[in-house]
Amino acid sequence: MNKAKNVEGAAWDVVVNSGEVDSRSMLPHLESFSYDDAIVRMFSLATLVWGLVATLVGLFVAILLVMPQWTFIEYVSFGRLRPLHTNAAIFAFGGNSIFAAVYYSTQRLCKARMWSDSLSRLHFWGWQLIIVSAAITLPLGITQSKEYAELEWPIDIAIALVWVGFFGVNFFMTLVKRRERHMYVALWFYIATIVTVAILHVFNNLVVPSGLFKSVPIYAGVQDAMMQWWYGHNAVAFFLTTPFLGLMYYFLPKAAERPVFSYKLSIIHFWSLVFIYIWAGPHHLHYTSIAAWASSLGMVFSLMLWMPSWGGMINGLLTLRGAWHKVAGDPVLKFFVVGITFYGMATFEGPMLSIKSVNALSHYTDWTIAHVHAGALGWNGFMTFGMLYWLLPRIFQTKLYSIKLATWHFWLGTLGILLYIIPIYVAGLTQGLMWRAFTPEGNLAYPDFVETVNAIIPMWWARVGGGSLYITGMVLMAINYVMTWRSRPQVYDVPVIQAAPLSKDYDDGLSPDSRLKGRPVLNLAHKLDRFEQAHWHRVWERMPIQFTVWVTIAVLVASALELVPTFLIRSNIPTIATVKPYTPLELAGRDIYVAEGCYNCHSQQIRPLFAETERYGEYSKPGEFIYDHPFQWGSRRIGPDLAREGGKQSHYWHFEHMRDPASITKGSIMPAYPHLINGELNLRTIPGRVQAAAYLGAPYERELFDSIEMASEQAQEIAWQLVQQGGPAEIESGSGETIPIEKTKVIALIAYLQRLGVDLHKSPEDSTGEKPQLSESEQAQVSKFIKVIKSGPEGDVKRGKSIFKTTCGACHKLFDEGGDVGPDLTGTKRSSLKYLVENSVAPSFEILENYKTELVLTIDGETFSGTLAGEDDEKIVLKTAENPRLEILKDDLEERKESTLSVMPPGQLDQMEPQELRDLMKYLQLPVPPADLN
Amino acid sequence: MNKTPSKTKDLGAEHATNAPELTEHSYDGIQEYDNPLPGWWKSLFWASILFAPIYYFYIHSGAEGRSIHDQYDTHMATVFELRFSQIGELEGDRDTLLKYMKGEKEWLAVGKVVYQTNCVSCHGSDGGGLVGPNLTDDYWKHVRNVEDIVQVIEEGAANGSMPAWKNRMSHKNQIVLTAAYVASLRENPVAGKSPEGKEIAPWDQ
Repeated sequence: MNKAKNVEGAAWDVVVNSGEVDSRSMLPHLESFSYDDAIVRMFSLATLVWGLVATLVGLFVAILLVMPQWTFIEYVSFGRLRPLHTNAAIFAFGGNSIFAAVYYSTQRLCKARMWSDSLSRLHFWGWQLIIVSAAITLPLGITQSKEYAELEWPIDIAIALVWVGFFGVNFFMTLVKRRERHMYVALWFYIATIVTVAILHVFNNLVVPSGLFKSVPIYAGVQDAMMQWWYGHNAVAFFLTTPFLGLMYYFLPKAAERPVFSYKLSIIHFWSLVFIYIWAGPHHLHYTSIAAWASSLGMVFSLMLWMPSWGGMINGLLTLRGAWHKVAGDPVLKFFVVGITFYGMATFEGPMLSIKSVNALSHYTDWTIAHVHAGALGWNGFMTFGMLYWLLPRIFQTKLYSIKLATWHFWLGTLGILLYIIPIYVAGLTQGLMWRAFTPEGNLAYPDFVETVNAIIPMWWARVGGGSLYITGMVLMAINYVMTWRSRPQVYDVPVIQAAPLSKDYDDGLSPDSRLKGRPVLNLAHKLDRFEQAHWHRVWERMPIQFTVWVTIAVLVASALELVPTFLIRSNIPTIATVKPYTPLELAGRDIYVAEGCYNCHSQQIRPLFAETERYGEYSKPGEFIYDHPFQWGSRRIGPDLAREGGKQSHYWHFEHMRDPASITKGSIMPAYPHLINGELNLRTIPGRVQAAAYLGAPYERELFDSIEMASEQAQEIAWQLVQQGGPAEIESGSGETIPIEKTKVIALIAYLQRLGVDLHKSPEDSTGEKPQLSESEQAQVSKFIKVIKSGPEGDVKRGKSIFKTTCGACHKLFDEGGDVGPDLTGTKRSSLKYLVENSVAPSFEILENYKTELVLTIDGETFSGTLAGEDDEKIVLKTAENPRLEILKDDLEERKESTLSVMPPGQLDQMEPQELRDLMKYLQLPVPPADLN
Repeated sequence: MNKTPSKTKDLGAEHATNAPELTEHSYDGIQEYDNPLPGWWKSLFWASILFAPIYYFYIHSGAEGRSIHDQYDTHMATVFELRFSQIGELEGDRDTLLKYMKGEKEWLAVGKVVYQTNCVSCHGSDGGGLVGPNLTDDYWKHVRNVEDIVQVIEEGAANGSMPAWKNRMSHKNQIVLTAAYVASLRENPVAGKSPEGKEIAPWDQ
């Protein structure tokens, strides 16, 4: 738009204003308006700024993988910053880029200013506020831990409001008020974007809040995984693909000044893309605990997606026919050509990775990381850069500061992408192949996980180089941006455009005849031919509301057919009787696991692949995750899988490992977590967390009203065991005061880690929780003794030891001193006073497997009772109070039976004075042998 | 330009004979050709659509051996058949342990790999001990005789310091051979963690 046209417009105005339009003048009734380019300038600046932020955070986390000691404070650990990198790249950089594209092109394609300037600005500032709150909350560990949906519920509500209420309403009202009869293909893609992202965002983020910054998704385990990757995959589809295709369809023919290659291809690839994409999500979950049918659907639909994606690529590249000579001199077209080529590569690789057997190798490795960066850096990045270089002279109404600098950006960027993705492909393949490598004898060739990490560290260094080159290119763009902006005119010219409003009466014309007319074919063939000529679609293109409805149906039908069965058909998630909900302390530990973003490096899902079960243990079952809100399966194994971590290491190992991983595992790249070691656990958040879990179906009882006390009890027990294993009893907190170890965060985290994957192998009795009760009189005695022991002065260890020697010590060992008849007390649950008193009051109540009493009657009529010390085909060996090895030939046995009574006589505590009780219990509860009592 | 038209024709002119038709559409100056869908594109799209039901019904027809879990079971059975058919199911008794401790390296290697997968984080890759005790010296905390090693691996010890591995291995032989490998570590003492527990006699005494 130039001055001349402006004057021309003004002339029209005169004509229009000179009087009513009358039919004789033959002049159409024209409306005057101008485009809002200020909002485009705002979004393009935000794109530039957030693009730099996103890639710099990316560079930092890439460095953290090779230099984990750079985690100088908890807020910048890999687990917390990686989500910030992905969210910033997708929603801040990608988001602002597509908004710039939408606001610039929609106005021109509709011949209308955006419906409301206020909504445009609310959209802009609302979105920036959301990004800033993401940049604050994610480093603080406030997260839902679902990939690319990490932001907590208050921010989620803001996103829904800004996306639907501001952006969506503004966009659709502009469509309604447009002055161009038909909607161009770019607008179809924008429609699909706005509708689908809204649906995905809302349904994936349905949560039960348990505080202002904490929520629990309503879905658990398999269902949560299906929802998350329905969302996650389609965030790629409808945030990083469809709007960028819209961008391509507008800015590429503009820059190339060539017609689009094929209108028909636009129609077919648009609808097939929108319909098929939705089904592909489960390919992120191949070989996991999801239902097999869902996995197969995910695979075949991903393969079907190949051609619809390539339809976009073809329509882009073939539009350049007759304009290829321009590519050499125009950085805009250079960026577009390479961007579209990367789109073609990524959308070939995607279907290939979704083939189950390929995925078995690629999943959890860097292959996926290379794949997404080919897409993000190549397609999204380069399309954005091309668009910005095309827009800059237009929105700032001047010449681009330097074409040469833009060309440098192009080459640095291209080289940067290659230097990033090639080493990471190599890393992915290397690690994948190492994980599954077997020696000829059938043993794992690389059994120690850390070997497979250290093998790819050189490739990670190369990535740091590639990423730096890409960022350098973006810095050149920033210079170009600022310098171009500085040469802008004092006042922007705002051309007045004129166009006629849409008349109410419009004739679509007749649907063309069948091209087979006169041929001897069935009537059906004629109908098909007329369908293929797509006149019906031309009619849809002038009806934005109907068009939107059809898009919504295409998206919803596919979603429903795949997701609803996962929720409704029981056989998809067979329950396991021994799987029980987490304890209150384990829930608190799980929240720490979530907040630290452990899922960014550790999976919790063992696939039924031999190499995997050899390394990690029995493969994961769907029923194991029914209390996992949110699921923590992860998508990348930078560290080993943790699905069966429970019981694999001692508490002390975990404690030391959290304090300094590299001192425990040589070559480990896990950062240290000192703030968990010396940070106090806030017990007050536990009840809300338990309530939320109960609301979502966890069958809690005592937990509902006594969760804090239960958490403290479990923390004490773990701390006690930790001390026994060699850990410290107390620790200096961050603020310098000494706190007992059971109050620290790491204890809760250990409680959670020790629970992972153990329920599957529990015997049903262990987990029913329906232990036989003590009789009422016994219970009364137990409470009486506990009351006595807890009141009065504290016990004395030295006196306790001498009491032990004369009583319990006759039959039991403690710290390697004492008799051999009863079980060694050292390793029992003696940290619990209740346990000790119960077993003294009622010794027969719970008898350990190896201490069941055998009653034997010989053929000579003699009776013996004792514990079974051995048995073979010929004889049994009893350990009695008198004889440690009494052998009886089986031929001599008349009768034998297992007694329900313990060898230990009841009433042991009855004779003791209260102070004696306190002394004895104090000694019995010592975690480690007393240093010196003499 | 006009002297040898046939050779200097640009790509657009070459197509002039069957030049693509423009549609009547124009949006902000953008026009669209009415080109048909490329043939290869249509063929591949149809092929991928036809493949879908064929694949789906092949996998989910209910025939045995096609599901992921069937394939896993078959694979595991085959591997264990290959690996352990010569030695059968081992018992964790003294004679077996002593035999494999000193026997062929091939079988001890099974134990070595299990050890490296699961035990090195506490006992060190050379057995010298880290959080867990040194396994190469003569001082042991919960082991007196060689068969006690099997017991400790299966049931754990010291109140969870040593975890129980009973349910974590896919084959009992792996535990027995790991015990044999652990026993063999005493042949090459390393100066790792200082001794813990009581001094015990050599395994074969």
